[in-house]
Amino acid sequence: MKNVPISYPTFFIILPLLIILNSALTAQPEVTPIDSAAALIPRNITAKDFKYDRGETIELNWKPADRVNQEMLDGYEVYRAEESSDSFVSIGFTGPDVTRFKDNGVVSEKRYRYRVAAIVGDVPYLSEATPPASPTMELVNFNLANLFIIGCLIAGAVTYFIGHARRGKKLFIRKIAGLEAIDEAIGRATEMGRPILFVPGINDMDDVQTIAGITLLGRVAKVVADYDIKINMPVSRSIVMTTARETIKEAYMGAGRPDAYNDDMVRYITDEQFGYVAAVDGIMVREKPATCFYLGAFYAESLILAETGNSIGAIQIAGTAQPAQLPFFVAACDYTLIGEELFAASAYLSNEPKQLGSLKGQDVGKLLAMVVIIVGVVAATISQSWNIAFFTRLYDLMIKLFTVQN
Amino acid sequence: MEIFGTWLAAFFTLGIISFLYRDNAWYKLCESIFVGISAGYWFVTLFWDNIHGLFWERITERHDYWLLIGASLGLMMLLRLIPPIGWISRWPLSFVVGATAGLYIINYFASNVMVQVENTLMPLFSAKFGDPLFSASPYSIVGNIVVAAGTFTGLVYFFFSKEHKGAFGGMAKIGIWTIMITFGASFGYTVMSRMSLLIGRMDFIFGDWLGLIR
Amino acid sequence: MTRGELMAYLVIVAVVLLLAFAVPKPISFSTTVSYIIVGFIALVLLIIFVRTIQGNMVGRRIVFLFVGMAVILPLFMTISQPIPLSPEVKQVYDAVVALKPGSKVLVSFDYDPPSAPELQPMAETFFRLCLSRDLKIVIMGLWPQGPQQAEIAMRKTLEYPEIASKNLRYGIDYVNLGFQTGNEFVIQRMGGDFKSMFPTDLNGTAYDSLPLVRNVRNFSNIDYAFHLSAGYPGTVEWVQVAVDRYGLKMGAGNTAVQTTQMYPYLRARQLVGLLGGLNGAAEFERAADMIGKATKFMVSQSFSHIIVIAFIIIGNAAFFLGDKSRKRKQEAAGGGH
Repeated sequence: MKNVPISYPTFFIILPLLIILNSALTAQPEVTPIDSAAALIPRNITAKDFKYDRGETIELNWKPADRVNQEMLDGYEVYRAEESSDSFVSIGFTGPDVTRFKDNGVVSEKRYRYRVAAIVGDVPYLSEATPPASPTMELVNFNLANLFIIGCLIAGAVTYFIGHARRGKKLFIRKIAGLEAIDEAIGRATEMGRPILFVPGINDMDDVQTIAGITLLGRVAKVVADYDIKINMPVSRSIVMTTARETIKEAYMGAGRPDAYNDDMVRYITDEQFGYVAAVDGIMVREKPATCFYLGAFYAESLILAETGNSIGAIQIAGTAQPAQLPFFVAACDYTLIGEELFAASAYLSNEPKQLGSLKGQDVGKLLAMVVIIVGVVAATISQSWNIAFFTRLYDLMIKLFTVQN
Repeated sequence: MEIFGTWLAAFFTLGIISFLYRDNAWYKLCESIFVGISAGYWFVTLFWDNIHGLFWERITERHDYWLLIGASLGLMMLLRLIPPIGWISRWPLSFVVGATAGLYIINYFASNVMVQVENTLMPLFSAKFGDPLFSASPYSIVGNIVVAAGTFTGLVYFFFSKEHKGAFGGMAKIGIWTIMITFGASFGYTVMSRMSLLIGRMDFIFGDWLGLIR
Repeated sequence: MTRGELMAYLVIVAVVLLLAFAVPKPISFSTTVSYIIVGFIALVLLIIFVRTIQGNMVGRRIVFLFVGMAVILPLFMTISQPIPLSPEVKQVYDAVVALKPGSKVLVSFDYDPPSAPELQPMAETFFRLCLSRDLKIVIMGLWPQGPQQAEIAMRKTLEYPEIASKNLRYGIDYVNLGFQTGNEFVIQRMGGDFKSMFPTDLNGTAYDSLPLVRNVRNFSNIDYAFHLSAGYPGTVEWVQVAVDRYGLKMGAGNTAVQTTQMYPYLRARQLVGLLGGLNGAAEFERAADMIGKATKFMVSQSFSHIIVIAFIIIGNAAFFLGDKSRKRKQEAAGGGH
């Protein structure tokens, strides 16, 4: 082969040509052919009112173009215009894998049109405008129908059993072990001839735990009045003080010794949480009660009280429905009424239709949950193992019944 | 000024910790100051955020006169201070109790009952429904069984319409054991929490204040 | 004040003055010294164990002393401990990392200074992770002192060189909407409209004048929420209202006290990720590869746990074994009664 010498003028023509060619090659995506542009445009765009809201959202759904895969796309951009205008404004982006958009920048009953663009690089491939849609307000959220039905079932059971109890029919409640513990604890105070301390929690009478505590106080006060034991009850709410005084007074009248009662048995200390705790601690250390009751709503003071009671060697009975405080009572007290046991004990003792009926009604709810859990778990496991259609349908039904949509 | 603040904070921290030895004058001083300041702080915060921020500003600047209804309910609450007409204070209280109960029933029922039951319904041997059998790790299989059995037996324990006898009593026993184990875990976490607070304070004393920690 | 008390106070003042002005700073134990200290403490514990079985009970002040040492001494030590990563912590990290730059993250600060040792490290790491990934942060609080804790965390985060170099601007990259009273009712109203609850930010700037939130109407404009909680109102309320009613995607950082109560929500996928207490904070620091205070504190935490466990063992041994030895002693003395 013979070498062809390249002259300088030729070189100067070829170099710019090469540069142009090179830049044309690297910038290829910019000159997209028309037919591939059409293939990128998202299709089947629907804009409709988002159901069951206050009329402030329109929901958009679309499908990616047939030949589009997610790696190609940078995402979608959504544009909106009012029905009468043609100026579409960008209102948001979604990722390439999302084909749904909720527009909550709209005003109820106005009509809007939308366009959705697939974004590749910086280039939007715009769809046609959708037909106008307008957001409307719905008064009832039918998505929550299952919640309503199950709620009605339990509320209905509560109402039914309250009525049942009011008509004087007997409702069975199992014996609560804690009640025996209460009797034993009072017995010990009698033997030792030392006082009983009763703390009804730090909430007011609007808390159902306090009410349950006061109901149990009735039981304690009855024994106290019968055996003439000293009871000491520091409280942190004025209304609780009044109610507790009434309860104890009633017990003393029932025992036929109204003269033995005096108002100082129940004393108001302060509403301030730790001020109250400090005072109760002081009382414990000074008076060394043989038995301490903590029945009601407790917070951070639970362990402080129970520890002090422990240090003076008192028998301690606690009961609260505050989940965070239960571990401390369980650890430091001789017996603890856990959560609903407090209410059950109160209902058991008071025989009050409202308390009894509520407890029974809630039992119906618990029974429902137990049945659903057993059936659901069995159905799911069997359906998974042997793929039996009946169990799959059963499982789906259970899930549908308990799914809360928002 | 910042140095003064640090020394003051250290003074109070040490004062409160001194209670560990026994009750003393330093502790009492710190406690009283703390109680007084927190009461004052809450008063000022609530005044500026509620009465000024949520009520006065919105009435004067945004003319939101609906708030007057709420304000009058608030005033009724104060009538408790005048015993002869103190009973009026029950009206706003009923409003608050009623409205809160209504909101809570839906929230608690949806989040703590419905969603929890729904998520207990799962095949015991798979990670989730639709996955093949025994697709879950042994760890998750045990987890699934504990969750399903624990929830069920826990409910049995709190079921009051039947005596705890025989098999039912046995399940209730498992239930209370599950609850007790949960309490144990909870207690452990609390110890951890309290230790963290102590560590935070000690870091302040030896680091921020005395500068002994690198 | 008794004379004894006065003397004790004078001693404390002297020790403080000594530590503050006379001791060379900072103090740092080498690894060898650290292990010698640990060995010495273990030896003393063993002696206590043996003495307790023999019937000599330890006072509560001794327990306090040991816990105090277990917490303080590791702060000066140069030893570290491995921190395994739990799935719930990784979930928070994964959720943040999956967000695109520019995504909006809502952070609610529902705690006050007493819970800061546990939650502040979480807040700092979360901010740092978000800002380093160019996410936009919207801060708020349902506790009055929450937004101030956020300010402290943000100030510290902005000092890190990799964050400082981004020249982030308030109102565009992050916003502090401040505190609003009303507990869960605030969350409820935010489900409809943020602006109705936060007409202005912490500094009094109108909501619409803040570019970052101008187009944020409610939870549907938030890509991920992270909630720092120390009580009520807290994670429970956020889950019930924002997550279950408005479909917010949310993770949470909790004080250890209430962490166990949050696990049911995590399992039911109502929470996307959970950091529990100092341990959770340390794990999160590891996940994000941003070592901070929580990791450092974990050594103290572990030491104090070991001491607590040791005393539980000592107490139980005394209870079960001590009983026998006491009886033996009484029998040996010839006086059973």
